[in-house]
Amino acid sequence: METHAVETALRWIVLVPLIGAAVNGLLVRRMPRRIAGLLACAAVGVSFALSVKVVLRLVGMDAEQRLVTDTLAPWLGLGPLHVNIGFAMDQLSAVMALVVSGVGFLIHVYSLGYMAHDAGYNRFFTYLNLFIFAMLTLVLGENLLMLFVGWEGVGLCSYLLISFWFNDEANAAAGKKAFIVNRIGDFGFLLGMFVIGTTLLPELHHGEGVFSFQVMREYAHLLGPVATLAGLLLFVGATGKSAQIPLYIWLPDAMAGPTPVSALIHAATMVTAGVYMIARMNFLYVLSETAMAVIAAVGAVTALFAATIALTQNDIKKVLAYSTVSQLGYMMLACGVGAFAAGIFHVMTHAFFKALLFLGSGSVIHAMSNEQDMRLMGGLRKKLPVTWWTFLIGTVALAGVFPFAGFFSKDEILWKAWSQGGIGLWLLGFLGAGLTAFYMMRLVSLTFFGENRASDEVKHHIHESPATMTMPLVILAVLSLTGGWLGIPHFMGGQNHFETWLEPVFHQEAAGHHEADLVQELEHGALGETVAVLATSAHVTHDVIEGLDHAGEEAMEWTLASASLAWALLGLSLGTWIYTKRQGLAAAGQRFAGGALHRVLLNKYYVDEMYEAAILRPGYAVSERVLFRTVDAGLIDGLLVNGSAILVAIVSALLRLFQNGRLRFYAWVFASGAAGFILYLTVSG
Amino acid sequence: MEVGLTHYLILAGALFLTGTAGVLTRRNSLIMFMSVEIMLSSVNIVFAAYSRASGDLSGHVFVLMNFAVAAAEAAIGLAILVEIFRLRRSVNVDDLNSLME
Amino acid sequence: MESILFYLFAVLMLGSAVMTVTSRSAVAAAVWLVFCFVNAAGVFALLSAPFLAILQILIYAGAIMVLFLFVIMMLQGPVLPDERERRPWSRIAVLVLPPASAAVILIAWLARGGVTAFSGAQPAVRGTAEAVAELLLNRYLLAFELISVVLLVAIVGAMALGRRKEELPWK
Repeated sequence: METHAVETALRWIVLVPLIGAAVNGLLVRRMPRRIAGLLACAAVGVSFALSVKVVLRLVGMDAEQRLVTDTLAPWLGLGPLHVNIGFAMDQLSAVMALVVSGVGFLIHVYSLGYMAHDAGYNRFFTYLNLFIFAMLTLVLGENLLMLFVGWEGVGLCSYLLISFWFNDEANAAAGKKAFIVNRIGDFGFLLGMFVIGTTLLPELHHGEGVFSFQVMREYAHLLGPVATLAGLLLFVGATGKSAQIPLYIWLPDAMAGPTPVSALIHAATMVTAGVYMIARMNFLYVLSETAMAVIAAVGAVTALFAATIALTQNDIKKVLAYSTVSQLGYMMLACGVGAFAAGIFHVMTHAFFKALLFLGSGSVIHAMSNEQDMRLMGGLRKKLPVTWWTFLIGTVALAGVFPFAGFFSKDEILWKAWSQGGIGLWLLGFLGAGLTAFYMMRLVSLTFFGENRASDEVKHHIHESPATMTMPLVILAVLSLTGGWLGIPHFMGGQNHFETWLEPVFHQEAAGHHEADLVQELEHGALGETVAVLATSAHVTHDVIEGLDHAGEEAMEWTLASASLAWALLGLSLGTWIYTKRQGLAAAGQRFAGGALHRVLLNKYYVDEMYEAAILRPGYAVSERVLFRTVDAGLIDGLLVNGSAILVAIVSALLRLFQNGRLRFYAWVFASGAAGFILYLTVSG
Repeated sequence: MEVGLTHYLILAGALFLTGTAGVLTRRNSLIMFMSVEIMLSSVNIVFAAYSRASGDLSGHVFVLMNFAVAAAEAAIGLAILVEIFRLRRSVNVDDLNSLME
Repeated sequence: MESILFYLFAVLMLGSAVMTVTSRSAVAAAVWLVFCFVNAAGVFALLSAPFLAILQILIYAGAIMVLFLFVIMMLQGPVLPDERERRPWSRIAVLVLPPASAAVILIAWLARGGVTAFSGAQPAVRGTAEAVAELLLNRYLLAFELISVVLLVAIVGAMALGRRKEELPWK
């Protein structure tokens, strides 16, 4: 085992927000509000600064050696099972840590303004810091178990923050739903961990940490036979955390929490944990074509599915929630076709513009005196200028318009889907992209254009948000514009720094698939066929084939990119036009097929209702009738508890017969016993 | 036949059993008491017999102890009996059943 | 000679014991018991325990039985009501079990080795007062002291129990 470079700053990246949470949490009633908020922001700021510092150190290292570790203490040492409490940052964790702490910092600052009038201000910042701690543990954990600790931690914080205004039962229910659905996914995650653990444990040398990413990667070849099983089980966890079909149902309900929570947890960071995990475990997934195919399919279908639902929602945050589910589908699609770097790229850009959109919607909601129904909004363009402009930038970025961030990341994914996955997957993604543009402009039109449809009282209070809220919006808008430039693809003349940076992490996948691409092109492409004939007859070198193959590829990339752009622009313009000039068409669309289509979409395909009927109600029935009545009341109460009491009563009733107060009876018993004993002694002795 | 240890032991055994029979059968507490004295006597005989058989006089000492204990027991027991008689106006053992469940 | 005496004393003792146990009146039972103890003294004499024989008469027949008779008289017990209501099974059990147990023990005993005889016609040591006293006051001194405590307790207890309620210092 090589010793890696040690960096003690890593622990502080993770622990400083924990300290912030502890201080705010323990002094929640005593702490003055301003200090609580500033303390929390400072904690995350420190994390971000330290992250930058460590990343700079990584930048200075040799590309193949970029890994710093910080082991705090051994955690488990049970026979062959060794797990450490430790952190590690490589290229992948670096990206995630920067995004989490950076965007997290901006959202903390935003919350200073947004939650200013809330009674639970201190508690909010406690939970928010706690979340950052958990998320950083997740992305910086040096082994799968640390990742899981963070995984659970963010689940907990998600619950705490969704049901932040718990006095309303609906909010509490939403929090519970999120936690429980996540828990179901976590069960799959645990089973996946067990599969990996039991497969690897017998083969390790003494002291090697079985779940350490470095170690697992070394022994990855042993995971071949269980790769599909473990991969799918881990993916179940990912569908829960990253809101894919079938466990996405908690995310729209999670909008019950305060908007900064929606921005941070349910857009930028927590929900991407599943994508991170899959990228992290890439050495496992590449061993199983089946698992990858499933991931890609689920991702693509979810992307389109959620987009269709977003078309009809009237709550501004619900639209964004389904949009998040949809975008997460794209990230999964990328991972599924082996384009892990593209997936992570989209994680980053999505964090920027989705957080921006959520925070912007928060600004709108704040201005509209907590109104969230878009049908009662409108015309906010003039009254909320900063919000308007930043929101527009976010929308355009999400829609994937050049040169904004979303274009590069989404385009990369679609290209990889086409070239490595097949036309079906690409088509699902492509359609989804168009719908994305459309429903986003629907949102923008209803909110910012036209006449304001609110009551006079609300209209009166409409005002732009304070600087603590608008500054993060501006910063995120800048990032939404420029963030994609880190990954300008080769065919457009860029060097795709992002992919290059991440390449050592996904090393074998790049090599493997490139070979596959080559073979595919050679077998199926028209140009390739000609080349193949020439090559076999003339023993043309590898380089020449690659060069020709590249030319064909590039042409395809340009075609697809242009198609995506055009499609997105079409969606944007249609959306704007219908919802500003031709509302009648929109209304007609709603009435289409007797209103049935609209109703299905508005009710999210009745998925929740189906789960209720197919799973929840039978579950209740079993719990009630079998577990409660039969087992609990009948068996445990009746047989064991009452039964033992009855047994005691019976025995004592029998014994009581000896206590009849009659002296001669006592004498008799005494004599009989003594006689019996003596007889026994005599006969046996 | 020469009278040996066994003869004395059989005598003692028979006495003991007679005493037991008396204790179990009679309802008059005074007679029960006397039966107990018979049992104690039988034990004395056993000790004396073994003492003779082994030549060790420790058996005699124990018999002395037994005398003293029997005397003490008789004294206390009869005192209690008198007390009970004062309360219950009866020495019939079947009437003393207030300890029953 | 010894055996004739033994059988005499044994039969008389056993017989008077049976009579004690089966007497209808308590006084009769008491008198039979006195006779039983006298025979017991004879048995002790045969066992080279003259000291014990004398003490048997003095203590048992002389003190204990007198006490018994006192109490019987006090409790107006000369003639007691008829105790006819005996359950048949208890009567049978009492008549059957003791002999049966005795038979079992006897058989087991004899099967083991039969009658054990005394070693030598006369014992080396006779149970005279000096001999017993010597043991009592040397080796068994502690027991001697303790037994006197027992007697003390008995005296105190008997007095405490015998008093009328009004005379008791505590109530």
